[in-house]
Amino acid sequence: MKLRIILVGQPNVGKSCLLNALVGPEVIVSNYPGTTVEVTTAEKTVAGEEIEFLDSPGIYSISDRSEEEKVAEKALFEEEIDGAIIIADSVSLERSLYLTFQVLEAEIPVVIALNFVESAEKKGIIIAHKKLSKILGAPVIPINPLTKRGMGELVNALLEIKETKGKTFTVRYDDHIEDAIMEVSSQVTRTQLPKRFVALRVLEEDADFYGYLSDTRTIKAVKEGLIEHPKVAEDIAITRYGTAAFISGKVTHLVHVEEAARSLDERLDGALLHSLGGPILTILTFVTIFGALLFIGSWIQDILTGFTEYLLSLIHLGVGFSGTALEAGLAGMMAGISIALPYVFIFYILFTLIEDAGLLSRYVVNLERFLRWFNLPGSAIIPLALGLGCTVPATRSTRILFTKKEKFFTAALLSCVPCSSRIAIIMGVVGYFGSKWLALSVFITLFVSFLVWGGIMKRITRIEKKPVLYELPELPPYRIPSIGNIVTKSWIRMKTFVYLVVPLLFLGGVAYAGLDTLGLTNVIVAPLSPITWWLDLPNVAIIPLVFGFLQKDLTGSMLLLVLGGKVSSVLAPLQIYTFGVAATIGIPCIIALGMFIKEFGFNKAVLLTAASILYGLLFAGLAWRLISLFCG
Amino acid sequence: MTEESDILQIVEEDILRILGEEKSKRVSLESIKSEIKVAYLFISNAIKELEREGLVQSQGDFIVLTKEGFGKAENIVKRHLVLENYFKIKRTRSEREAHKMTDILEHYISKEVIEHIKKLSTFKTEGFPLTKLELNKEGIITDILFPDYGLFERIVSMGIVPSEKIKVMYKIPDGMVIYVGGKKFALGNDIAKGIEVLG
Repeated sequence: MKLRIILVGQPNVGKSCLLNALVGPEVIVSNYPGTTVEVTTAEKTVAGEEIEFLDSPGIYSISDRSEEEKVAEKALFEEEIDGAIIIADSVSLERSLYLTFQVLEAEIPVVIALNFVESAEKKGIIIAHKKLSKILGAPVIPINPLTKRGMGELVNALLEIKETKGKTFTVRYDDHIEDAIMEVSSQVTRTQLPKRFVALRVLEEDADFYGYLSDTRTIKAVKEGLIEHPKVAEDIAITRYGTAAFISGKVTHLVHVEEAARSLDERLDGALLHSLGGPILTILTFVTIFGALLFIGSWIQDILTGFTEYLLSLIHLGVGFSGTALEAGLAGMMAGISIALPYVFIFYILFTLIEDAGLLSRYVVNLERFLRWFNLPGSAIIPLALGLGCTVPATRSTRILFTKKEKFFTAALLSCVPCSSRIAIIMGVVGYFGSKWLALSVFITLFVSFLVWGGIMKRITRIEKKPVLYELPELPPYRIPSIGNIVTKSWIRMKTFVYLVVPLLFLGGVAYAGLDTLGLTNVIVAPLSPITWWLDLPNVAIIPLVFGFLQKDLTGSMLLLVLGGKVSSVLAPLQIYTFGVAATIGIPCIIALGMFIKEFGFNKAVLLTAASILYGLLFAGLAWRLISLFCG
Repeated sequence: MTEESDILQIVEEDILRILGEEKSKRVSLESIKSEIKVAYLFISNAIKELEREGLVQSQGDFIVLTKEGFGKAENIVKRHLVLENYFKIKRTRSEREAHKMTDILEHYISKEVIEHIKKLSTFKTEGFPLTKLELNKEGIITDILFPDYGLFERIVSMGIVPSEKIKVMYKIPDGMVIYVGGKKFALGNDIAKGIEVLG
């Protein structure tokens, strides 16, 4: 029998990090919410016993208000699980206990993994974990996923997790509420879930649980009978939290620690959250990142290009179709790697660095305000920031938004947020073969197109401005990022590039050679020539644009193939600019389209993709005309 | 289950309170049993423990406070009254409701918090919305007012609860960054309006 264990905890408490330590680098660890909106699984075999871990989104409580909570709740009650690891934060134990009590109310066996023990001790908070374990009737194990402290103990506790069932702590509500619980639970039928738990959820106004009652009129009757608790749901939450604070107080020992006059954290926050300085610093940081990317990237691209030329000059694959095709495949692959790899890889390293340091959440706070222009909630910034990496997971993370319109609008905006592959086109093609200023112009054009596109989508979706209610992002403490973590995360994000993109680059080259030999390129080029005319580009330039939709990283390598490697002599700087703009606006590729179909349905997805690509082409054509008008 | 010693401690405090509330400082075992709904074993053990500490004396079927017990009971009663007062004023409950909420909470709340609440209930005034709290000044949450239970529970589970200390660290457009229970959160003004505080 396989043991199925779910990991539950608040955002930023180190769930994914723990999963990494338990099973190896299989999951992405993130320092800001919205990364895990789906349940991911990983397996491990210990002492002949197979354990399957389910990672759930970070939540503060089990209710189904946000998408994260819905996903976590579903995993807890609909999956067949044998138990849960609750990752508790030693720095604010009572919050973790609140969630723990809810899981215990559902009679799910638990093991508590006590994280951040060391940083709590630095703040003078010492937790008597053995005492806590005795009170809760469940194992409490201090852990540190980075040093692997407690991992063995944790796994051993999991193997015996079922034993804790029925011996664990229960929150006692006051006698009126307890009577009401009794009354409601006597009506609970049609479910495997514990009756007391269902009764509590019902009293806490969770409509999903009303269906388990044999007579729903009971709810009204019981509530009316509760004259002492006109707001019984609130009193349940307060008592649960009160109990959590009480127990946390019992097991916590406070030691006085001299605090530095004004810690580095506060000085950083003072600057980064300043109402004027914050956004300026944020924008400066991004400009610096992009600048660094452009310079370091082009330097590596130089080396790689030189190496490629040397390599290709060594190989002679003979004559005939297979030889030409192989050569084209190799050339395409090497060109693609030189153009995309430096930028994509360095981008992910830098992005992971600011994310792990805790900086990203501050930038998110600073950038949120700009989304109000579009009547979008501030949390829409998270998918947009992820969009700088890859459009596909960014589209998935629009699920953290509340309404369908907001999700669609935000996803549509991803058309004008360059993903790392598109950033590589701007830097590796426009910047490398044109100039660095030209690359900057493409970024500026992209920003303008973002504003215009957003304005259009605002008209279309008609989202009303509404009060900013549901945003309570936690600002985690700054941490010095661990190099191991950064390398692991960047590698996970790069993995698709190596396993998927590199073979595709090769196949793209082969396919082009095939088309060329069979004289079929014209089949694509001729009917689409109005587009290249509009963009003032040579007709063959449509090929990289079309191949680019299959896989964005093909764009650069195909451009090099069709132009015979001589980009700067064939294309004028303005043409390179236009190509860059046309290649980067729009839903970028077929994989992103697939994700759009999954999230929004076939019709909407195809319509949006087509519209966004047309918009990009239109914009690129208008842009070069405007520029040539002014710059003569 | 809670450790037995915890229950004992709670029951001991309850007995002292019941005795303290009574003018004669003398209560029958029967009425203690009817007021504290726990197994009799706990009550008898609690009484034994209180006797050992010299706080009460058994006199047949009655329990009487000793001189030493008197002071301690008075403190407990005061704490109880403070809480009851808080719930009557702050959450506009009937006397009976306030009494019940107090019963649950008094054992859970630390002395420090009691001091805060005492301060609150002597103010007799309503708190003001968090949006009006001065920057970097510590306030105490007095109430959380949301029409929507979902939001209420979310906020409570994050540790934003009445009697907790709160500080506005930075103002950001349409919102603020708050510090509560050792953590920082960014909060929209629309939520902040529903959190009542006293500075």
